[in-house]
Amino acid sequence: MRAFARTGGFVAVGALAAAAAAGAQRPQQVVLPGPVPYPTDSPPLVGGGVLASAYIAPGLHIASTERVRVKVDGTGKPNAIHVRQQLTVKGKGDYQVAVSGPIEDVRRGPGSQSEPGFRADQVLWAGFSPGTKQLAADIALRVPPAVPYLPLRLHLTREDGGVTLTVTNATTTPVMSYEGVVKPTEIARLLDATRRSSLAGKRVKAAFATFLGTVHVPRRPLQIEAPLRVRGELDLPGREPVTFSRVLGDGQPLSFEVHAEGSGEPELDVSASPAPVVHLLRPPGASTWAAAIRRRPIPGAELLSRLIGARFRLVRADQYQTFLADPDADGHSRAVYEYKTVAAQGPQHVASPARGGGGGSDALVIVLVILGSLVVAGGGLVVWAHS
Amino acid sequence: MRRAILLLACVSLLATGCGESSRASGGKIVIAVDVPVTGSPYVAQTIRHGVALAANNLNSGGGIIVGTHTYRLAVKLYDNHLSARQAVEDTRRALDAGAVAIVTDGTGVDATWQLADRDHVPICITYDGGTGLADAAKRPNVFRIAPTNHGIAFRFAEYLIPKGLKVGLLHDDSAYGQEGAADIGRAFSGNPRSVAVRMTLPLGATDLSPQILRARRSGATALLVWGQPPTIAAVLTAARSIGWDVPVYTPPTGADPFIRQQLADHPGWVDGLTFAAGRLTAEVGTGPFQSFESQYESAYGVDKVGVKTSDGRPVIEPPELAMYAYDFTHVLVAALTRAGSLDAGKVLAALNEVTTQGANGDERGFNRHNHDGVVDDDVYFARFHDMTYAPVKDDPLSSTLPVIPQTP
Repeated sequence: MRAFARTGGFVAVGALAAAAAAGAQRPQQVVLPGPVPYPTDSPPLVGGGVLASAYIAPGLHIASTERVRVKVDGTGKPNAIHVRQQLTVKGKGDYQVAVSGPIEDVRRGPGSQSEPGFRADQVLWAGFSPGTKQLAADIALRVPPAVPYLPLRLHLTREDGGVTLTVTNATTTPVMSYEGVVKPTEIARLLDATRRSSLAGKRVKAAFATFLGTVHVPRRPLQIEAPLRVRGELDLPGREPVTFSRVLGDGQPLSFEVHAEGSGEPELDVSASPAPVVHLLRPPGASTWAAAIRRRPIPGAELLSRLIGARFRLVRADQYQTFLADPDADGHSRAVYEYKTVAAQGPQHVASPARGGGGGSDALVIVLVILGSLVVAGGGLVVWAHS
Repeated sequence: MRRAILLLACVSLLATGCGESSRASGGKIVIAVDVPVTGSPYVAQTIRHGVALAANNLNSGGGIIVGTHTYRLAVKLYDNHLSARQAVEDTRRALDAGAVAIVTDGTGVDATWQLADRDHVPICITYDGGTGLADAAKRPNVFRIAPTNHGIAFRFAEYLIPKGLKVGLLHDDSAYGQEGAADIGRAFSGNPRSVAVRMTLPLGATDLSPQILRARRSGATALLVWGQPPTIAAVLTAARSIGWDVPVYTPPTGADPFIRQQLADHPGWVDGLTFAAGRLTAEVGTGPFQSFESQYESAYGVDKVGVKTSDGRPVIEPPELAMYAYDFTHVLVAALTRAGSLDAGKVLAALNEVTTQGANGDERGFNRHNHDGVVDDDVYFARFHDMTYAPVKDDPLSSTLPVIPQTP
């Protein structure tokens, strides 16, 4: 549904832009960003398999709460990713849903009233909700395909006398924006509505803006990010932990550094969650944008740029609320990402999902063939050298 | 002229060849059915019919495509006599016959699964819900499409405890009864006050009056009887003959025609008997199941219970067990298609990855962690009245289910 909305949204904007190019100075309604489409396909993560057919009884709603736990090594590089996903089913009726992703394994989570099924790259849930039902799963993900979609990059650098942690918002992405002549009063009203949604933690509602005349698409795409609330501490043995709490994005820097004095293995504990857009939507010198433009005129282009940027950021933040998909596309989703250092581990069990019973033996055969070839080639070289 | 005729003959031969399926015939794929033909004929017959109905439907559609070949399904019947030893012998013979899967009521699976696992041949249980019989981790080749004892036990606890009843937990000394007692014990372990008495009943005893009197004296206000059909019939006889109108609850064996046949002279004694079973219809309604039932009856006739309603209509049994066997056959075929070969290991792995639409409209399939194709949530409760049963109204799932017609 979201994919459809994504296509539909771009088509709508494109069609309107084309119409604008062809038309005169007539006012026209242009779709603003949000609540969908999302600017990129993932998150939520997608797996390799074909999803089992889904069914959610009419009137049933499923909310998703995710705790994404990322284990990082001494440099800040992820080496294990687990998600505890809790689905709350509300309503009476049947459900049969699948959650896709690069899934290595799944186990029943605490408090779950049902057992999750597991197929190649899928967690399956099927059953009957008598009114409300809690489903919880602990899901291990394959690291390489999941890492690019984590919202934070961490980098630990050791120096003489300490360690420096660099935390970077990794959700930045280009999006197509648009410009044109707009009515400042209308944009101010839309800014106020968007701000109310943002502060209430609600998904932005679909909205239109009136453009007078041509709608321009700037050559350079707009770079937006999901604002992230980042909290954590950096700890070195025998020292007081260095704590930090920042928002990355929302008009503020996209990375920061934390330095801790001392020696030994650093311990890191960082949590990040998508944050509302606050800074960019704060009206200057007034309690609302409507009041602000009455107090001091603000160019319509500036208001529009702010509105589009803020709405895209809210859409991006909403996107990161579902690292693994909520089977109910309209469901309420929340995600928190937790990063912790762990002692160096062996390679994660990243066995590709079995694609049939012969996968393992095929791999063994390939290895044996390669080894055999090397032996034969080596033997040949020896024979050749002595001939 | 001769050349022209020869050319035409060649062309027509080619055309004939092209008219046939482009896939080569691979011959037959054997599905073994190992059931208690002597011992529990109703169970055996309905399971066999379920597999055969699916096979016949698929064969009449041109067979099944596996890789580059088409195959026809052949069903081979074995009689395990309800004996584990015989089941082992049957399994050996089925493996020798090249069976790609063995469908069973569950008899002897504890002894047969390892034999079949050596050849990566799947076994599917379509009747026995015993805990541990299907275990994806320990028994990778054992699957089940039937309500599990575990699921039934916990659904009973969920259903009965809030009613504030003092439940007498009775079971017979058959393997089925003892396994069920263990599951019921676990399900009620968190609410010992709900249990008035626990008691083992001798299988085959026709007079259970002493045990039922003891249960009555214990203060039981309901009986949950986990046992074979004769035990349930004996409990009902003992309770009703002393005028004790205690509600009686049972696992799926409570729906076995045997009980109604035994109590045909006292149809009122069956009234109120409540049993748990897997639901026969999905949320999409009765359509899919009735379509399946219609096909089943066209092929094999109705399964008559052997009793009549008060207005003289004969009672028939909906083909529930047949539905499970039928569904497994379709899941197996989906796995064969996905595997693209008859390689047993590949077929076994594919069984964890495929889903088909079951005869009742529900999705059927297994996965890597769970080889039970009937989820616990699908257990519902039905109550008898006038020799036919209807879903109860005081359970959230059951109250949503329609009544399946049981008279022609």
